[in-house]
Amino acid sequence: MTQAEIKLCSLLLQEHFGEIVEKIGVHLIRTGSQPLRVIAHDTGTSLDQVKKALCVLIQHNLVIYQVHKRGVVEYEAQCHRVLRMLRYPRYIYTAKTLYSDTGELIVEELLLNGKMTMSAVVKKVADRLTETMEDGKTMDYAEVSNTFVRLVDTHFVQRCPLVPATENSDTGPPPPAPTLVISEKDMYLVPKLSLIGKGKRRRSSDEDATGEPKAKRPKQTTDNKEPIPDDGIYWQANLDRFHQHFRDQAIVSAVANRMDQTSSEIVRTMLRMSEVTTPSGAPFTQPLSSNEIFRSLPVGYNISKQVLDQYLTLLADDPLEFVGKSGDSGGGMYVINLHKALGSLATATLESVVQERFGSRCARIFRLVLQKKHLEQKQVEDFAMIPAKEAKDMLYKMLSENFISLQEIPKTPDHAPSRTFYLYTVNILSAARMLLHRCYKSVANLIERRQFETKENKLDACEIQVDETIFLLESYIESTMKRQ
Amino acid sequence: MKGSDNQEKLVYQIIEDAGNKGIWSRDIRYKSNLPLTEINKILKNLESKKLIKAVKSVAASKKKVYMLYNLQPDRSVTGGAWYSDQDFESEFVEVLNQQCFKFLQTKAETARESKQNPMIQRNSSFASSHEVWKYICELGISKVELSMEDIETILNTLIYDGKVEMTIIAAKEGTVGSVDGHMKLYRAVSPIIPPTGLVRAPCGLCPVFDDCHEGGEISPSNCIYMTEWLEF
Repeated sequence: MTQAEIKLCSLLLQEHFGEIVEKIGVHLIRTGSQPLRVIAHDTGTSLDQVKKALCVLIQHNLVIYQVHKRGVVEYEAQCHRVLRMLRYPRYIYTAKTLYSDTGELIVEELLLNGKMTMSAVVKKVADRLTETMEDGKTMDYAEVSNTFVRLVDTHFVQRCPLVPATENSDTGPPPPAPTLVISEKDMYLVPKLSLIGKGKRRRSSDEDATGEPKAKRPKQTTDNKEPIPDDGIYWQANLDRFHQHFRDQAIVSAVANRMDQTSSEIVRTMLRMSEVTTPSGAPFTQPLSSNEIFRSLPVGYNISKQVLDQYLTLLADDPLEFVGKSGDSGGGMYVINLHKALGSLATATLESVVQERFGSRCARIFRLVLQKKHLEQKQVEDFAMIPAKEAKDMLYKMLSENFISLQEIPKTPDHAPSRTFYLYTVNILSAARMLLHRCYKSVANLIERRQFETKENKLDACEIQVDETIFLLESYIESTMKRQ
Repeated sequence: MKGSDNQEKLVYQIIEDAGNKGIWSRDIRYKSNLPLTEINKILKNLESKKLIKAVKSVAASKKKVYMLYNLQPDRSVTGGAWYSDQDFESEFVEVLNQQCFKFLQTKAETARESKQNPMIQRNSSFASSHEVWKYICELGISKVELSMEDIETILNTLIYDGKVEMTIIAAKEGTVGSVDGHMKLYRAVSPIIPPTGLVRAPCGLCPVFDDCHEGGEISPSNCIYMTEWLEF
């Protein structure tokens, strides 16, 4: 974990959970997996507090535990999961656009509480929605349950791993920490619950009299004494699915920018059809036949089959290479080249950063070296049509910032500089990593400044925008690493 | 060539062999094995007789190459259409760049407005390099005559600007503008993503980014770029 990432994690943990959790969390990120007593000893906090902090972190899926040999339980922090906390607003906003306010509140509750049972979520969301409705109206549990089931069906919410049910309970003392398992098919299985009820409005008279809340509280706890039917079945937000959705959004908007609205709708349909069939790290989606696509187009779009075929051919021939043709059965089989799409998006991000930081002539040189792979100094000047002095200056500036690197090709075994070729080249993966690191540091800076200023609005929005860049670069790096 | 001795004849022969690329004085020395002082005397002699001339090379401005008097120097020496008197003409290139881009842009606009089926729309938004060349010639903004290759180098710079994309299609030998059986087509395009999130924060463009850390001289709390940016 780099310094910038650790700083960012520490800021995020502090904002969301407080000092103690931050101390424990950062210690775990820095030192890797450690048992309980060592954590308490090294950070100088009491065992009790460490336990509570670890509880919070495990509840939010930020720390995992493992039982090693000799019965020692070690805790390990998931740094990348902590960094996802930056993206919570985007997840909630996505749920809102797809499933309106009910979906938004469900996802918000799940993210804020880590894991929850379905009945608890439904009750809480219904209560919150009821408060915002007009007097006299209440939110029915059934409607919230329906939205919850829809979220599960589209895989945005998944079950947490459970303690496996052991039949023979006399196999000796239980292990110090249970190993949690979940099978693939159970992950999206909603238990049959009949949640009947309506959201309760919080009585406004609670705030008036001081004596009354005390009397009301015992009454509310007696309501919850009835056994919860789905105890032990916890749900969490499925972040990978959200990421898949963001990736699809980015691809669709790229196609819309490069071509037109109809092409982007076709690509969106193709992506929607492969949502649940394609694993998240795959470089290509499953092949889809043109007939299937025609049937699945959204209802409002009436374009003829011929026009659809033309659009598909155009998409497949486009230099962008987002869509490829993989066969001719069923009117033409088409796949979406996800890895290529992420690569193009990451490259476009790099180009955009170079353009904004150094100017459009530098961007021209950068794109030139990107396309031609390896170029000599003289060739750069000739192709880009920029005077030699300026071209040299720009190349060295980009070289110093590590966007461009030099490749030496010696003519003689002694590598004498006058007899060596020096070629400029762009290594996209390493440039992407460098930029990602810069993004993390930028977000940490923004958070610090925000805390310093206490003026909120502009900085929050900006953090989210930087996070978009983080998402594109991370997806590309992940996808490239998977292919190697 | 009366009145010149064998050495002069030899040097003259070497220079003639070099054609319109010219030859450097050191190379003449290697080829003829004559000492430097002799070479210089002969070259001065030949120049005064107006049989050879010296041309400054654009690649290395101190180097002088010699060629026969009545030959036109080759493009690689003078730099071609983009150099006038050893100076690279940046504004000329810029103007041509913008004109070509505008031409392609309007072509793409009209194609999009026509709202026919997508194949035709796309094909009509392409322009071949020959079309662009004709347009630029007709505009008459260039004092120097430009060839189709020159226009193609300008169009390539537009590709590196990310504003234009190119495809090559096979064309019959006889069609106008085709070279060796294929034609290059160009089309104006728009970028696939808007300016990325990182550059909207002051940190994305900050020149002293690497020196910045909390508690130092330059830190997020006292960053002047952020103060300016928050003023809006």
